[in-house]
Amino acid sequence: MSYVRVIRLRKIGDFALNTVIVLFALAPLLWGLSSSLKPANRILQVPPELIPSEVTFAHYATLIENQLFHYMANSAIVSAATVALCLAVGAFAGYALSRFAFPGRNLVMLTVVTVMSIPIASLLVPTYTLIANLGLLDTRTGLVLLYTAYELPIVIWIMFGYFNTIPRQLENAAMIDGYSRFDALRRVILPLAGPGLIASGLFVLTAAWNDFVVAVVMTSAEAVRPLPVAVYFYLGFFGREWGPLLAASMVSIAPIILIFVIFQKYFVSGVTGGSVKG
Amino acid sequence: MRAWFQRRRKGASRADADAFALRLVAPALLIEFLFVFVPLAVGLYYSLHSVRFFQVGRFLGFDNYLSVLTSPAVLNSFAVTAVFSFGSLILTFVVGFALALHLERDGRVAVFMRAVVLVPYVISMLVGSLLLKWVLSQDSGVPQTVLGPLGIADFSVFADSASSMAALIYNAVWRDAAFAMILLLAGLKSIPLELYAAARVDGASPWYRFRRLTLPLLKTPMLITLVRLLMHFVNSLTFQLILTGGGPVNKTETVALRTFRLGFEDYALGRANALSFVVFLINVCMIVLLVKLFKPTEKLR
Repeated sequence: MSYVRVIRLRKIGDFALNTVIVLFALAPLLWGLSSSLKPANRILQVPPELIPSEVTFAHYATLIENQLFHYMANSAIVSAATVALCLAVGAFAGYALSRFAFPGRNLVMLTVVTVMSIPIASLLVPTYTLIANLGLLDTRTGLVLLYTAYELPIVIWIMFGYFNTIPRQLENAAMIDGYSRFDALRRVILPLAGPGLIASGLFVLTAAWNDFVVAVVMTSAEAVRPLPVAVYFYLGFFGREWGPLLAASMVSIAPIILIFVIFQKYFVSGVTGGSVKG
Repeated sequence: MRAWFQRRRKGASRADADAFALRLVAPALLIEFLFVFVPLAVGLYYSLHSVRFFQVGRFLGFDNYLSVLTSPAVLNSFAVTAVFSFGSLILTFVVGFALALHLERDGRVAVFMRAVVLVPYVISMLVGSLLLKWVLSQDSGVPQTVLGPLGIADFSVFADSASSMAALIYNAVWRDAAFAMILLLAGLKSIPLELYAAARVDGASPWYRFRRLTLPLLKTPMLITLVRLLMHFVNSLTFQLILTGGGPVNKTETVALRTFRLGFEDYALGRANALSFVVFLINVCMIVLLVKLFKPTEKLR
């Protein structure tokens, strides 16, 4: 067997393997998209059509009648507020850890690592009792504070690593020029930390936009219901009417997939806590 | 805001710097304290008392713990969780590792493929589970179309306990294999290529290189991956809630789902908190055990 032939065979094998991987990863999504565009009588047809022979947006229209935009707005507000709060608080903390040997620094580091590694999901019930006692059940504020508490350690971790790559001389020079510590941080260092902020911001955004478990426990009122919980309630409401359900699924993942496609390389460093530059 | 961060104008004393740093970390510490450490304390308090619909009653000591640990439903959920978590952990880890090795080289194709496999991870667990539920349900016509030619008619995935569990594990692997891949990829990238080159010059086979170079050098990334995956699976609720609802007949009711139902369907908050704590302690023990297992062995080579 000639060398060229071995290489060609390997290429064909690789291509086949990649095709299988893509199919496994994306088939459920594409299947859901295809079904959400079919008229109701064709959704349950056996054998099913892979590509809808007639396309309808009726299911999407049904959703809009069922408050879809209201839930989307709730999710958007909560996600945006969480990202803002997480980045502000996390960037400051990361900066302090990166630059100052203040008393208690190790304790703060330990807290960050502990919160990252303790399974917060197993504290759902105690958290519910606390939130109820604070009067934060059924508020967007409650969700924002909880998401912030859960995602903050990752943000601090990424920002700490990122600030370490920015030379200290920059603040020193700014302070010699008459800037205060805070102004040096705000006007000189933060603008340079853009990529770190984007990576951690994306991570927080994804977590807040996608969360279902915390939201379903902490909210019951329709006024503050975010999109994933709304999809869950649609499940009870529409039952076996898959059209609106799948349409709702598509609507709730479209923004995230779009953002992911645009910022893909930042995502990877977000997932790994900044240890991999995507 | 600014006034709070700088009580004094310029000054470069050590105390001044310390005060500035402390003010920077204070908000973060406050949030973590309030929403992570206080729930621990509140939960502990509730778990030791009789609680009905938020009315904290008398002190019970460990009665709540005894009653959950002797409940057949809870014991069943522990067994279910063990099967689900370890099945998902092993498969996700193996598939993630294989993907990491397969997509390690930074070609255009590999970068594209990494993005594709990450899609199930970036969409919400709720929607991912819902889509799989749709594909596997008889409503979609997929099972009939696939199984029909094999001579299996009218088989419902979610009516059978073994296939329900398989569907749950599949759901977990489908979503989280990419996550394992990314974490392991990070480790693979940190291994200097010279080591492989040297090994090749010494005539080491690919398998030998993998066993004696890759695996030992990936110890820490592998540990981190295993811990994060295990915690995720043991505490996951969305998969079960959406895909199987714990059915058929509690055959896929995991501890997380049992706790959720105790707390939010039965409002037995004392017992739900007690169960939360038992799970929490088991989680911590498993993390410690994994860390011990992966401790670098100091052997003379």
